[in-house]
Formats: sequence, C-alpha cells, structure tokens
Amino acid sequence: MAGTKMALDGVKVADFSWFGAGPICAEHLATYGATVVRVESETRVDALRMVQPFAKDKTGYNVSGYFNNYNAGKLDLTLNLNTEKGQELACRLVGWADVFLTNFTPRVVERWGLTYDKLSAINPQIIAAYVPMQGYEGPHRDFLGFGQVLTPVTGYNHLSGFPQRPPIGLGTNYPDYVINPGHTLVAILAALRYRRRTGKGQRIECAQIESSICPLGPAIFDYTANGRVQERSGNGLPYAAPHGAFRCRPLSPGSTAPAHEQWIAIACFTDEEWRALVEAMGGPAWAKDPKFGSATGRKEHEAELEQGISGWTAEKDAQTLMEELQRRGVPAGAVQSAREMLADEHLKERGYYVYLDHPEAGRTAYDGPPCKLSKTPGQLRSPAPLLGQHTEQVCKEVLGLSDEEIADLLVAGVLQ
Amino acid sequence: MPSDDTPAALDDIRVLDLAGEISQYCTKLLADLGADVIKIEPPEGDPVRGLPPFYHDEPDREKSLYWLNLNTNKRSITLSMADPEGRKLFEKLVATADVVVESFQPGYLDGLGLGYEGLTKIKPDIILTSVTGFGQTGPHAHYKAPDIVGTAMSGIMWLAGHPQDPPNMPPLQQGYTSASIIAAAGTLTALYHRDVHGEGQHVDVSMQEALSIAQETAMQSWDMLELLRNRNGERGMIPINVPGVGSYECKDGYVFGYVGAPGGAAWSELLGWMIEEGAAEDLTEEPYLEFCNNLNLRFLTELFRDTSTLGEKIQMLNHVDEVLKRFIASKGKWEMYEGGQGRRLLFGIASTPEDIARNPQLQYRQWLTPVEHPELRDTLQYPGPPYRLSETPWAIRRRPPPLGEHNAEIFEGELGVKSEELERLSAAGAV
Repeated sequence: MAGTKMALDGVKVADFSWFGAGPICAEHLATYGATVVRVESETRVDALRMVQPFAKDKTGYNVSGYFNNYNAGKLDLTLNLNTEKGQELACRLVGWADVFLTNFTPRVVERWGLTYDKLSAINPQIIAAYVPMQGYEGPHRDFLGFGQVLTPVTGYNHLSGFPQRPPIGLGTNYPDYVINPGHTLVAILAALRYRRRTGKGQRIECAQIESSICPLGPAIFDYTANGRVQERSGNGLPYAAPHGAFRCRPLSPGSTAPAHEQWIAIACFTDEEWRALVEAMGGPAWAKDPKFGSATGRKEHEAELEQGISGWTAEKDAQTLMEELQRRGVPAGAVQSAREMLADEHLKERGYYVYLDHPEAGRTAYDGPPCKLSKTPGQLRSPAPLLGQHTEQVCKEVLGLSDEEIADLLVAGVLQ
Repeated sequence: MPSDDTPAALDDIRVLDLAGEISQYCTKLLADLGADVIKIEPPEGDPVRGLPPFYHDEPDREKSLYWLNLNTNKRSITLSMADPEGRKLFEKLVATADVVVESFQPGYLDGLGLGYEGLTKIKPDIILTSVTGFGQTGPHAHYKAPDIVGTAMSGIMWLAGHPQDPPNMPPLQQGYTSASIIAAAGTLTALYHRDVHGEGQHVDVSMQEALSIAQETAMQSWDMLELLRNRNGERGMIPINVPGVGSYECKDGYVFGYVGAPGGAAWSELLGWMIEEGAAEDLTEEPYLEFCNNLNLRFLTELFRDTSTLGEKIQMLNHVDEVLKRFIASKGKWEMYEGGQGRRLLFGIASTPEDIARNPQLQYRQWLTPVEHPELRDTLQYPGPPYRLSETPWAIRRRPPPLGEHNAEIFEGELGVKSEELERLSAAGAV
C-alpha cells in the first residue's frame, strides 16, 4: 500500500531473537513501520522453522506456518555469530539500529559479545531489550526452559483447569504469544519515546518469569496479603453464575469426534442477565426455583444450575445460540476453534487475518496488526522471509559492504 | 523505590482513565512507567472496586486487592459522565491530556459528543484508545464481552483442557490482560507518531483480536492443512504419552517435564539421576537401557514415520513412564525442579502462588514490591515489574488512590474550580 503512513517509519530494529516472544515483538514493530533485520544462522536455525504445520507437501526451513506467522515484514540476514567476523558484523548492525532485541540465554548473549555494556559502547543511544527466561541476575539465571516449562513455573498450570485434574496447563505455551512479546513491546516503545525526548538510550530486561506472572497478579496478591493459596476452579468465577462452557450439539449429528464438538460460553453477572437467560430458555420450571433467584444462590447451586443449562444447550447450534443470547443481553460466545476463527464474519469484516503470498509456502493466513490505529493502521508489508533471503541486501544497504567483501565473507562461512 | 528525581519514561504524558475492567491493566502499565494517569470514577466508585479478593477478606471499596493491583500510581477523581456539568469538567481535563483510555460500548462516547471527533475539537492531537471485546466496528461490536466470552471467541479456550472436560478458560482475566497490553502498545505507537508528526488518532483494540495469536499453531494448521488442533490435556502438540513430558506428581505438588526437547539434557541424564538414587528399576537393562538413551523428540518423529512397530514402542514408553512416575513421586517439587535444572534437565515446578512468593530467583530480584498503605497501617507486597528499564525504572511511586482522593487537587488546584462551586457540583451529583 504505497503512501500508507506508518507510525514507526524510520525506526531501525536489529532482531537477534528466536522462538516466540522475541520475534513476535519485533514483528509488531515491523507491522507499524519499523525496518526490522532478523538475524539468523544456518548453524543455529530457529527451532520454529522446524516445527509443524508445514505447507502442504513442502519441506525445508521456509514453510513452517508457526515460524512464518511471527516473522512477517522482516528482512532476514544469516550471520554466524560463532565467528569473530560475524560478531564484528553484528556490532555494525547494532551501530545502525535504534533497537536491539534478543531472547537468547544470558550465556549465549555473553559469548557473542552482545551485552549492553558492549552495545552501548558502539551505539550509546541504543535501546537494548533482553528477554531472558529468568533474568541476567539471580540463582536461577541459567535455568533452561521455553514456554512449555515457563508456563507451569509462573503459576498458570496450577491455576487453570478443573480441580480434580493435575495441573495440565493451557494446551499452548501461553505467555509466549501476547504476554511476553507484548510487555517487551510496551517497554521498547516507552524507551523510544524517552530517547526522542532526551537522546538517552537504555537497557531493558523483560525476564519472562516476571512478565508472565504479572497477569496472575491478583492470585499472588491474595497470597502475600491474605496467605491464601488459590486453587484452580475450572471455568468458575466467585461472583458470577452461570459462568462456564456448555456443550452444544455436534457439528455432524451423532458424531463424537472432538473436532465436531460445539460449546458455548455463557456468563451471567447480574440478575437481569439471568432473567434474560431464563426467558431465552423458555422459562423452564427448574430455573424458576427461588434458590436461583440471586447471584449467591446461583453460585451455591452452580452444579445443578449448569446441569439445567447444559440440558437446554445440548441440542442447539453454538453460533446461532450465541446470536440469540447476545440479542437478549446475555453475555455468550461460541467456543471457536481455529476453523471458526478463520470463517468468523466479524473478523472478516474487520480484516483481521491477512493472506500473504510466500514464495515457498504459498498463500497463507497471518495474524494481522494486533490493534487498529485509525491514521497509521499498520500493515504486514511482506510475508515471512526465507532463511537468509536478504543477506546480500542487508550487507550492502545496511552494513555498507562491497560485493568483494560480501564474496569473501560468504567463502569464509560468516554469512551462513 | 527510585528517588523522586529518577526520570520516568512517560513522565510527560497525561492519561484520562475511563477504563473499565478490560482496560485497567493498560492504564496501569502507562502509570507504572510514569504517566500521570487520572482515573475518572463515577461518584459511587469504579465497580471494579467491588471485586474479590479483598484485603483480609473485608469487602470494602478501598480493600479490593484485585482493584488495588490494577490501579497503582493513578490519581482518582469522581465525576459523572452522565451529568452535563460532570462532562464540562471532563472536557476541561481533555484540554490538558495526551491520551484518553475508555472501554464503553462502542458509540457511547459519540452519543455524548465525546467520541474521537468530539475530543479532537477540544484537543486536536488527542489519542483515544478504545478497548472492547470485539472492537469498534463489525457485526459483533456491541456484544457483551466478559473475559470468558473473549477467550472463547478467540480460539484459545478451544485448545485448553482435558478432552473429557469442557474447554478451559485461562486463569484470572487473560483476555482483559492481553487486550490491555496490546492497548498500551497501540497507545505508545500512536504517541510516537504524534511526537513526530503532531497528529493524534483513534486506537481500536479488540480482545478477540489481541488474543488470536495465542492460538499457537492452531490457526495455521487449519489454514494450511485443514488439520484441527483440539484440546488434549497437557500434551499440546505431541499426540501420545512420552515419558518425561507432561505433569508429574511429587510428594508435595507437581512438576512439568519436557525432557529430550532441544536445549535440555537428554534422557540418559535423567536415567543417570535415577540410577544414582537407586530408582531406575529395570531401566538399566535391555531393551529399556538403549531405548531410554535414544528417547528424544527426533526419535518420536521417526516413530511416527514407521508405524509398524508403534504398538510395541508405545508399550515400552508406558513402562518407562511408570518407573519415572515412581521416581518423581518420591521427591519434593522444589528438589525435582532445582535438582533437575542442575542437571540441565527441562523440568519446571508447577508453582502455586505460595511457590512464587518463595521462589529464590524472584526473591533475589526483589520482584514482589512493598507498598505502604497508611490507611491500612500495613505494607502490602504487590506483584512486581513485568520489565526493568535501566534509565527510567518501573516503579510504584504512589499507592492506589482512595475514591476521589484527588478531587480538590485536580478540580480546584488544576482546573481552578472554586471550592463552593465544587460543593455545589458535589451536591448535584456531578462529582
């Protein structure tokens, strides 16, 4: 979209990150206009490039939907940071950049000479954002992990799911996708504004253990202030009933396949919402029992309440029921799978998912800009880069190398 | 706590906070980085003040821990947006503000003449950040969207839970938190643009969209291959039981293992630990010994390529898992976590809130943040920083405000409203 204004036009980002949290943060910067150079290496390929799903009947490093979704709009430079010359080029890139970002472990970052004291000596105005698991200081500094391990460590597993189950977690590496990249993005943007005002760069550390716990703040606070250890409680909330997911009819009649299940989330916070739900259900006798007349009564008899509602939803289509309940003022939402997300008419009208043509993976869907800015809407300007796709371009245009220098570096194995 | 002259990243920014529950974490993020956030509450108080848990379980609008956590560093004034005189005062404040954050039903502020267009008549470069379940436009824009509706509609609830249970919502208010984080990022992006080009804009945040990317690979799996990811308990992307992967019960709780994943030590290291402690049973004998020593994610990928031996292999996997379960059951969760990590084995403790408060790493880093509450005659340990900025540190400079604490300071001191006039407005229900 030529001529589209971009909020972060002119901001330059050296993205030395991998996996989820780092690359997503840098992708959002690119989406709103920053020039992002993603530094990778063939000697240490981002594991996400090797994780399914892969484009149909395709193999190789460039066709993972997992990787591609987090790296749109970036230039890709391959650089072997285990070579002296590679580290030297990394320093030149830092000299060019406004923002440096990495989520490699402290040990690796130190080995590559990418610590803040080194970077700020090259570029005193650099904003250097480090996104380690446990932080650069402390007894657990070198503990290993990624989202799968961090999610339980930060308390999500203990607090999610039904009480009779072990702490099985959320089925994904949840904090990797919004919480940690989002917090890092907030810190970088705040630091960019501050730098614009004062000329000062700074070091940011978004330790994933700390960032991930913040959204669980109230449960931590309940312990520090009241000594209470909160337990997982399924889909319940102490002050709303009903509040849960209710089974609807399967997509294919009689099917028990998980993919054919339909569920609807229904929540009543007020008596008015409850009365509207009762009316929608056709005013069954059980629902008129006075014990369900107040929020505390509904909470107290929640199991019975849920049974009654489930009996009613069991034969309904989730999307149709959602529309009807919302029309009546009852908070309700279909529990959508990815299939429904991609078909969601509301998201389509807002243009949320974006389809991009990738030279190897073909035309695939990407998550679009995470929010809409009316005058600088943001845009995924190109699909995810192939491994090393822009090495030559970045070497020339950003690092100012000549063709001969580039050829020598290629031969020496530095640009791989 | 940094001294008073420590600079803050956003100490030149004023935010008017009309945020409901969905967007209070957004204004907290801005306030904790130094923005002057003026929280505008209805005269009876923000309804979020009524949400549990409460300090010492005493329901009181000044004691909601849920609310306190979201309102650090803010100032509070009371003002009725439903009252024309209240709105006049709001308009005066808009003239001094950089950002307004709100989460009313789309169109509500427009109806009062205070939507984005209306605000620009008062302050041409104002940034309005609107945070709702489904955004400002589209057929679902007016849907009621408590957190569970947002998480259901965003695809992430579908992925969570045991197959025999209903889909699980994530704990606490993840939809609100995610929408708030994205809203803070969007606001700062718009501020950057304003700083450079002098124009404000309207930032439209949808909880559903903010969460979508947290579907992990589910969206792409359907888009590229029409493969649907469903909730499968703790296995995530792995389709079968694999020893060392998943939740294990200890003497006093649970750990989560991901042994064999890239980066961590191999299964042979875990077996070595079990041998050391005399808990390896028959895993030191063939065929198990060789099997354990080859157990990694690459092995599993191969396993699915050649399905002819799958049945036999799965039996072996199950046996190894039983032995491992017995080993872990004999240990404490901290011993498993710290001992395992000491051997570079990917184990994580399934922390309870108590474990988090006692976590040596977080204690060393002084993550929990003490805040004095003179009214409670107590110092509360608040959840700490999501990030550390070296020049402009995150800090709680001001405890959350009692309702209307800053009415006089702001209405009289800043807007020049006379105190008799303020009394009249108060009696009339405007403030």
